[in-house]
Amino acid sequence: MKVFLKDIAHGRSGDKGDVSNICLYAREPKYFGAIKSQVTPDSVKKHFRGMVTGDIERYEIRQLDGFNFVMHHALDGGATRSLRLDTLGKTMAAALMRMEIELDAD
Amino acid sequence: MKTIRIGGGQGFWGDLNEAPVNIARNDDVSYIGCDYLAELTLSIMGRQRERNPQAGYARDFITMLNDLLPILKEKRIKVLTNAGGMNVKAAVEATKQAIKTAGLHLKVGYVVGDDVMDSILELKKQGIGMTNMDTGESIDPILPAIVNANVYYGAEPIIECLKGGADIVIVGRSTDSSLFLAPLAYEFGWKADDWDSLATGILCGHLLECGAQVSGGNYDYDWRSVPQPENIGYPIAEVSGPGELIITKTKNQGGLMTTQSVKEQLFYEIHNPEMYITPDVMADFSKCTLRQVGENRVFVQGVRGEKRPDTLKLCVGYTEGYRNTAYLPFSWPDALEKAQSAKETILKRLKMKGLCAEEIRTDFVGLNSLHGPLASDMKEELNEVVLRIAVKTKTKEEASKLSPEIAPFILNGPPASCFFGGRAKPEEVFALWPTLIPRDAIKLCAYVEEVK
Repeated sequence: MKVFLKDIAHGRSGDKGDVSNICLYAREPKYFGAIKSQVTPDSVKKHFRGMVTGDIERYEIRQLDGFNFVMHHALDGGATRSLRLDTLGKTMAAALMRMEIELDAD
Repeated sequence: MKTIRIGGGQGFWGDLNEAPVNIARNDDVSYIGCDYLAELTLSIMGRQRERNPQAGYARDFITMLNDLLPILKEKRIKVLTNAGGMNVKAAVEATKQAIKTAGLHLKVGYVVGDDVMDSILELKKQGIGMTNMDTGESIDPILPAIVNANVYYGAEPIIECLKGGADIVIVGRSTDSSLFLAPLAYEFGWKADDWDSLATGILCGHLLECGAQVSGGNYDYDWRSVPQPENIGYPIAEVSGPGELIITKTKNQGGLMTTQSVKEQLFYEIHNPEMYITPDVMADFSKCTLRQVGENRVFVQGVRGEKRPDTLKLCVGYTEGYRNTAYLPFSWPDALEKAQSAKETILKRLKMKGLCAEEIRTDFVGLNSLHGPLASDMKEELNEVVLRIAVKTKTKEEASKLSPEIAPFILNGPPASCFFGGRAKPEEVFALWPTLIPRDAIKLCAYVEEVK
């Protein structure tokens, strides 16, 4: 069964210069595994193709069923200088939530 | 057991101005911290001060203070803020005036020394290179374009103000979180190398410094469930000692406090969760656990700290040309097709006018302006869409070329478009140059003045 990431996770994005970070948490602990295996630095990089040009790091925060993604060269030069409407990348977490996740039927 | 309650009254310059008053009036706190500064704010304030020597700080703080002062006195609440921005002394003068007008007798503390704009060349002479900490580039090419240069400092000078009896502390570019760490370190006598304790104060500050973003604002988990968003309650932390705290929200107000709302704020704008670098301590939030311990009460545990860095972050703001942004809405039928056609025509017109742009960007608001290439293609027809066109140029004159090109489209362009706000105005673009400098290159001074 395919779901949007938004259906099984919640999170928030913020900025520091040209770096955007997204913290992402499983809505229920049972979804942690699917997120861990499918929302990887590689898959996130692929997802943000055309938007994020730098490296992506993922930090696991196991006891909170979550991850912190740090995306470099993600904001078109950074809030102060970019021509983006969302200069601060406040909607980057929502953009990640568009990712489709395969869940085992249960 | 001694417990200190601190409110988070402001998340940025432009946040709900009445929030600190709502905290003071509806709940019981000993301190309220008000953060007004984001990365770009100081460059904007620097420009304001150039135009008017009495400007360059968050004037909204004074407006709010007029309502807050009577409650501060009655409830014995102290306020800490970085509203001083680029002109701490002018903010202090305005605060003193507000206190006198209210007929009160209070002490005002303030800190100066973060503004090193005038000593950049001197610092260079001392051998402090100020190369860009992200790119390694030399600072020399941007020297003529510098607008401001401010060092992020920690809680120590703010604690000095509190020791001097300050009821209101006004600073410039302290870190946001040190506004909250300072009163805790002062109350509990935390030492400057008591890393776990200091990290607890930083955690407290980090959770409070964005105001209601931890108490139901921007709540991705379940935004529909947030009570009374029109009257959202700002956050309050309760701290009794190192390693843990309880975070709650203002009584008799809306909003909420859940483990999910705290989670969303916990790593907001943090990179490595084990290494949140601040001037006071290297804080480690990676082992934090959260537990709901009552309605709108979350217990946070497990924060640790390690030795603070030997350097401070210096953030240099410099001017990098101009930007101009215009909007043009189109209605059904064929809204997107019309907007696309208008875009092509505007781009041709700008070329005819010889626009020399570093970058031109177009988006369709309602379709892809937020998620760009990630946005889904709309299969059904849009009711309406807004063409957005933005240019970045070296000079104001070039950027201005876009402004008169939009309105004529309402008569000359594809049918059924209308005005969107007023005529576009070019704005200055600021860029930031982050760098590290040794602690001892900076001299911060704390003062306390009695006002009556």
